Amino acid sequence: MTNMVNGADWAALAPLGIVAVTALVVLLVDLVARDHASRNASIAIGVAGTLVAAFVCARGYGINYAAFGGAFVQGGFSTVFQEIVLAAVLGSLVLFAAIGKETRVAAAVALMLWSACGAMLMAGAASLMTIFLGLELLSLALYCLCGLSDRPTAREAALKYLILSSTASGFMLYGMALLFGASGSVQLSALVAPALAVSPLYWVGSGLFFVGIAFKLSLVPFHTWAPDVYEGAPLPVTAFMSVATKAGTLAVLARFIYAAVPSTIAEKLLLPIWVIAAISMIAGNVGMLAQHDLKRLIAFSGIAQVGYILTALAGGSALGLRYAIYYLVAYAVMNLGAFAIAATLSGDGEEGSRLANYRGLAKRRPLAAALMSVFLIAMAGLPPTAGFLGKILILSSSVSTGYAWLGGVLIAGTAISLYAYAKIVRAMYGRDEHAHPHGAAPAVPLAWASAIICAVVVIVMAFYPLTPSNILPLVR
Amino acid sequence: MGVDGSYPYIVALWLLPLLGALVLWAFGPQMRRVAGWFGSGVVGLSFVLTVLSWSAGTQNAGGAVGAHQALGSWFAGFHFGLLLDPLSLLWALIITGVGCLIHVYSIGYMDGDGAFARFFAYMNFFVFAMLTLVLSDNFIGLLVGWGLVGLASYFLIGFWFFKPTAVAAARKAFVINVVGDVGIMLAIFLIVANVHSIGFGDAFAAAGSFSSTTLFAICLCLFIGAAAKSAQIPLHTWLPDAMEGPTPVSALIHAATMVTAGVYLIARCAPLWSHNSDAQLLVGTIGGLTAIVGAILGCAQWDIKRILAYSTMSQIGYMIMGVGVGAYEGGVAHFFTHAFFKAQLFLGAGLIIHALANEQDVRRMGGLVKKLPFAFVAMLTGVLAICGIPPFSGFFSKDQVIYGTLQHGHPWLYAVGIVTAGITAYYMCRLLFVTFLGEYRGDVDPSDLGIRHPELAGTPDVHDAHASHGHAPAWIMNVPVAILIVPTVFAGWLMFGGDNSPWARFFAAEFAPSSLPAPAISEGLTAIVALLVVLLGAAVAYVRYGTAAARAGAVARLRDESVRMPALLRNAFYFDAALDLIFVRASQALGTFFSRYVDPHAIDGAVHETAISAGWLGTLTRSFQTGLVRAYAFIIVLGAACFIAYYALVGGTH
Repeated sequence: MTNMVNGADWAALAPLGIVAVTALVVLLVDLVARDHASRNASIAIGVAGTLVAAFVCARGYGINYAAFGGAFVQGGFSTVFQEIVLAAVLGSLVLFAAIGKETRVAAAVALMLWSACGAMLMAGAASLMTIFLGLELLSLALYCLCGLSDRPTAREAALKYLILSSTASGFMLYGMALLFGASGSVQLSALVAPALAVSPLYWVGSGLFFVGIAFKLSLVPFHTWAPDVYEGAPLPVTAFMSVATKAGTLAVLARFIYAAVPSTIAEKLLLPIWVIAAISMIAGNVGMLAQHDLKRLIAFSGIAQVGYILTALAGGSALGLRYAIYYLVAYAVMNLGAFAIAATLSGDGEEGSRLANYRGLAKRRPLAAALMSVFLIAMAGLPPTAGFLGKILILSSSVSTGYAWLGGVLIAGTAISLYAYAKIVRAMYGRDEHAHPHGAAPAVPLAWASAIICAVVVIVMAFYPLTPSNILPLVR
Repeated sequence: MGVDGSYPYIVALWLLPLLGALVLWAFGPQMRRVAGWFGSGVVGLSFVLTVLSWSAGTQNAGGAVGAHQALGSWFAGFHFGLLLDPLSLLWALIITGVGCLIHVYSIGYMDGDGAFARFFAYMNFFVFAMLTLVLSDNFIGLLVGWGLVGLASYFLIGFWFFKPTAVAAARKAFVINVVGDVGIMLAIFLIVANVHSIGFGDAFAAAGSFSSTTLFAICLCLFIGAAAKSAQIPLHTWLPDAMEGPTPVSALIHAATMVTAGVYLIARCAPLWSHNSDAQLLVGTIGGLTAIVGAILGCAQWDIKRILAYSTMSQIGYMIMGVGVGAYEGGVAHFFTHAFFKAQLFLGAGLIIHALANEQDVRRMGGLVKKLPFAFVAMLTGVLAICGIPPFSGFFSKDQVIYGTLQHGHPWLYAVGIVTAGITAYYMCRLLFVTFLGEYRGDVDPSDLGIRHPELAGTPDVHDAHASHGHAPAWIMNVPVAILIVPTVFAGWLMFGGDNSPWARFFAAEFAPSSLPAPAISEGLTAIVALLVVLLGAAVAYVRYGTAAARAGAVARLRDESVRMPALLRNAFYFDAALDLIFVRASQALGTFFSRYVDPHAIDGAVHETAISAGWLGTLTRSFQTGLVRAYAFIIVLGAACFIAYYALVGGTH
């Protein structure tokens, strides 16, 4: 920890820096621009900054560099997760154009960019300090984002999120303190020492650490916040939250599993994670059945989908990590696509997420119904979509690593979820008994473009199981 | 499992019906009557191509049987292609051959229907879907076909969508079939997870290396699919209701082809079943149970099509029992002959229904032998075949199944097969006698016949605009029936001659010849026993309905029988009620449980949204007052406590 910070260290942070500075530019422009112009300018600047950051970030893919004395790692694994976060930012920013006037767009864009910085920091974090820093940066910005709309439900969501998330953070911080006490270091690499296997401090510390992680991943029983917060937050924020939070946290968890667990005790130490993953796969999918709002539905769907991803990580195989990343990308794309469609259906003062409004959609907006069906089919894991291939890959990995029971739960969960997804598709293509009055389709070219791109990606991915092959060496 | 290289004929015979469906869908209304001929012609052409592919499908080059055509690859292990081997060739011949005849018949039957062209578009689409199912060389293709035939069946059952009963029946069939689709999907997941391939060949080659638990799970999941599609207990309840569709649909989809998909699936996956005797026993037992239950319920029906529906269920039970215990040739043989005689029975019933302005209740028929002599000949040959009277076709195939159960060491199933044969003879002869003998009862007051709700008893008058009372069917409906009489009588002769019969040689390369010890009773003796039981069943039916005395008192007897029908039989052994209780009620209860304890907000949400107050303070107090946040935090803390307990305990022991 004593080596000097040099230029290369700062270069490793370049993508984060670009995103953070973009946020400042957005706020500055908002000061001088008129109300309507500011709205469009904020989105445009945000998109441009994100694209630049994504470009710069991609250039660092092949570099394996531990910056700041090993606190932050650049390249490979980090890059992939950072790119997923940036994709989430892009897919969510464009939705701001489609939602109601009551949200202050410039502030929202800036906060979302800063929140993304936190997630990107988590993606590269190799020390407990960096992890916590990233997590809090991500969360603090998100609390504000959730409450940014004038709608009372948004404020309720923000408050609930703040209180519950702080509780979980408290557990996590305590766990980190215990881990530090056991190992004498905040570096994850120090946690693989075989001597730690017999340290009760290490065990309990890990457990508390996992509580925080499980909260952010909204695994059952730490999931209770997710449906309420997803529903209350503005649509673009929900879209961002459903992808970026999970990507950042999964990066932390994956790095912990692959790089910070003494191999002798890995099976016992990680067992509770797999158990709650299994519970989440069932409970999340069952929870979907009773939902009337797309955002709540996706919250429950997300609970189960994270369970699928963890199924890939169980066993700690190299292939498993690749499949987890594949499924995470698929999950990100189908979620962003579904939210984009919801955004195109938004009207005055109402977000297009109420499932009742989807009845008979195929007659009124055939393209929207078709695209939404693609995303729902992908979430359900049916061919020919990335969701199907992802599940096949995960199942094969779960069998080969000896976690076939998780694969079995995945199959059962999938079977349950089919009904929930099919119900929406059927409603969209069924007749509309209570005709919903609707005006002309709002002109939201960006949201449409996002939805179409996502649909293409979801289908094309199904035929190319491309996953980065040199990820594992870069985790450590 | 297939010869490498290509055989593009398969693609042509596979896609022709799809082309037909698309053309009919786009231009059907303008084509008017030609639509029927066009639809039939397309399927006929497909049949000709199938016949021409005979030698390719039966060729045997170094252990690889049949012709293969690759369609494309997804990625490693996911190759798609079409396979024409003896098994799929047989199914394709029936689908296109019998399918073509039923298309032609439909030109007459559906004449004057407002959606004439749409009917043929659906029928062509069905043929395409069914060909997809049987020609695929991999599980995904099979699943796609499996789903598409379900969809086609849904459209065609609900074809007369202005009848609420038809819509309900279509929905029921669809839901139960989706249950089956999920079963197959789970099986595919399991297979791919173990073999990393979707090809039949790869999966079957690895069948020996599966653990017995895995293999049983795969077989069980596949059988859930087979049971749903082939109306096996307890997933059979949709089939009788499916008779709401037009009669040609019942003949093609719900008798000859689609409902036998389960038999195809098990015969196709024979290598999987052969490695797991538990799965064989399960499938054989369910098949036997279905055979006898279907036959018993067939005795208690009055609607001519429902009698045939229960008989279909029972006959498929025979097939499933055969392929289940390992007598693949026998099960498939019964599919082959059943396709002919059951199609003929349905088309014969269609002639009657058509001539009597959509009357379907046999109590209101009687004496039709004079009015409809040709329909009588058609039904008579069909009945003789299904009863298993030599030399009609059913005798030979049913004998193969029954003897097969004995060969494979299941004497109980053998007994079930024999008893079912007797019951079958009884209810089919009952149908024949009540319908054709005695006096015409169409003008008797329905209540005198014990018909409680005549307006509900299958007199829908759906297209009576053209079907005037008692008019003779057009030649166009008679010709397909006449053609079907030939195989109904003679098809069984192919199975005569034991291991040297044309049938055994056709399948010699497909199913490994069984080297089982001969059972104590010879095949000839079992055939004689079965025949005696059949004659007994027929004799009972004759005494009850056929003698001169019974014919004279038919009205009173039918009324007595209707009124005194035991509740158990009238409610079809309460299967519907049980399914409703187990699945509908239970899932409702489960939903209530989850919405109350897993996701409390789902119920409270309505209250919440109405009680919106502005401002942070209001939000703050409300969030606390409802206790939700506190409850959520409590759950989190509880979870964390469990985590800590685990880590403290496990970590402390190290």
